[in-house]
Amino acid sequence: MLMQILKDVAVVSGISTLLAVVLIIAQKYLSDYGICKINLNKKRDVSVEGGSSLLNSLAEEQIFLPSACGGRGSCGTCKCKVNSGGGPLLPTEKPFLSKTELADNVRLACQVKVKSDMEINVPESIFNIRRFQAKVHEIIDYTYDIKGITLKLVSPDTIDFQAGQFVQIESQAYAKIKQKVVRAYSISSKPQDNDRIQLIIRLVPEGICTTWIHKYLEEGSDVTFTGPYGDFYIRDTEADIIFVAGGSGKAPMKSMLEDLQVKGTTRKMTYFFGARTAKDLYLTDEMRSFEQVFSDFKYEPVLSKPAPEDKWKGKTGFVMPYFQDAIRDPKNTEAYLCGSPGMINAVKKSLIAMGVPDDKIYYDSFG
Amino acid sequence: MKKSPLEIKILSKMQPGEITLNGFLGEDSRDLYDIIAEDERTLETLGVSANELADKMQYFTDKSSDSFMDSVEIDEIFIVDTEVVRGKLPCPFSHPGIYRKTITTLTNKKYNITIRWTALNIHLIKEHHFFEGKNSAFRLDPQVLLKALFA
Repeated sequence: MLMQILKDVAVVSGISTLLAVVLIIAQKYLSDYGICKINLNKKRDVSVEGGSSLLNSLAEEQIFLPSACGGRGSCGTCKCKVNSGGGPLLPTEKPFLSKTELADNVRLACQVKVKSDMEINVPESIFNIRRFQAKVHEIIDYTYDIKGITLKLVSPDTIDFQAGQFVQIESQAYAKIKQKVVRAYSISSKPQDNDRIQLIIRLVPEGICTTWIHKYLEEGSDVTFTGPYGDFYIRDTEADIIFVAGGSGKAPMKSMLEDLQVKGTTRKMTYFFGARTAKDLYLTDEMRSFEQVFSDFKYEPVLSKPAPEDKWKGKTGFVMPYFQDAIRDPKNTEAYLCGSPGMINAVKKSLIAMGVPDDKIYYDSFG
Repeated sequence: MKKSPLEIKILSKMQPGEITLNGFLGEDSRDLYDIIAEDERTLETLGVSANELADKMQYFTDKSSDSFMDSVEIDEIFIVDTEVVRGKLPCPFSHPGIYRKTITTLTNKKYNITIRWTALNIHLIKEHHFFEGKNSAFRLDPQVLLKALFA
């Protein structure tokens, strides 16, 4: 009896395995979608081999949509409008899409499989995104948990970006980490130094990519990244500027100020940098030196909880109460913010209450 | 016992380097469902639900998130600090949604206990009754958690 049961189980298992193998082979040989045409923005066609994700198919054609998870469907950043040929919406996409996006045919490119000709809309800015090979040129310890990493470009050997934009670093396998991850970091150097980029990176507890960068990268290490991404950049107006940043949020502001130094400006600018204690401050002398460069610039570090040993004589508490003295005409003021969502929300609320127009508040919220 | 395909998938996502640097299981070699079941038994003995613990954790995270540059003191007992770093994490159980990388640190002055949790920890406890494996970086022992959260 027992032998018969075991025999039956073995037969059923064998049939199941055989069917699985047949399905895999069928998938490989019968699901041949051939060459599919992807029309971008009704302007340009690319031909790709069907069967891969839209994200990967575009990447093969050197068209890079932002993706922080490497196409695993967990970050929700590779959004694009799929007008036709995308197939039905998948349950894996729904949590990442708003009602407006759903109505507007927005999809996650990593979840959409290319099976037929498609028509999609992507931001024009992504056509400038490239994959770069670079080498670590310099590593600077800014604080106990923040490093400045300069990458010298190898191929392509120059990059065209706007101050405030970011790149996506691809970490490599290390220690017990078997696969690469992709993470976004703002460029902190100026666009005019186009043969290199500097990044300011804070070590994140349990962070796979930041641990690789902080503990495993050394001068001469190879690094791959894509970019530039993002629409956080200085608007070309004559309005006064308020910069507000915290932690590694200093990176895009540094790039913007160095860029303005090259281009020249007479705009009134105030830069508030929020930190907890003096040990969280960095690049203070460099930022203060801009007070000598620009005709109307002030750097204001604010410590929320200075330690007694800091002997801090500067501004304390939240940054918001100090805005009043820095803003002379709220309607003619632009704000550039980079930091945690909590900081962004509180600062935005305060600026709007003071009369700064909502549409003149630009920000890069961590995430 | 043979693991189901779902358990294998979940366990693979809990390994080091998949979602977090050191994974969710620490040095725990028990089956995933045994880890959860033991913590559920502890909750039953303590007379508290995973939902109650998760709600209290969320309460402290929300309270301290408003004070983004400093810690807050709540009820003269709890010192709470929530820090947000760049990025988001998915749930290893493949639950829809992603969770911002926040770390809340709570010190209960009455019992002199300090614990920390992430936004993902709250979700894992509330929806999956999963407090992470023993010696995992963000393991939250239900007994310690209860003592720390409710003075």
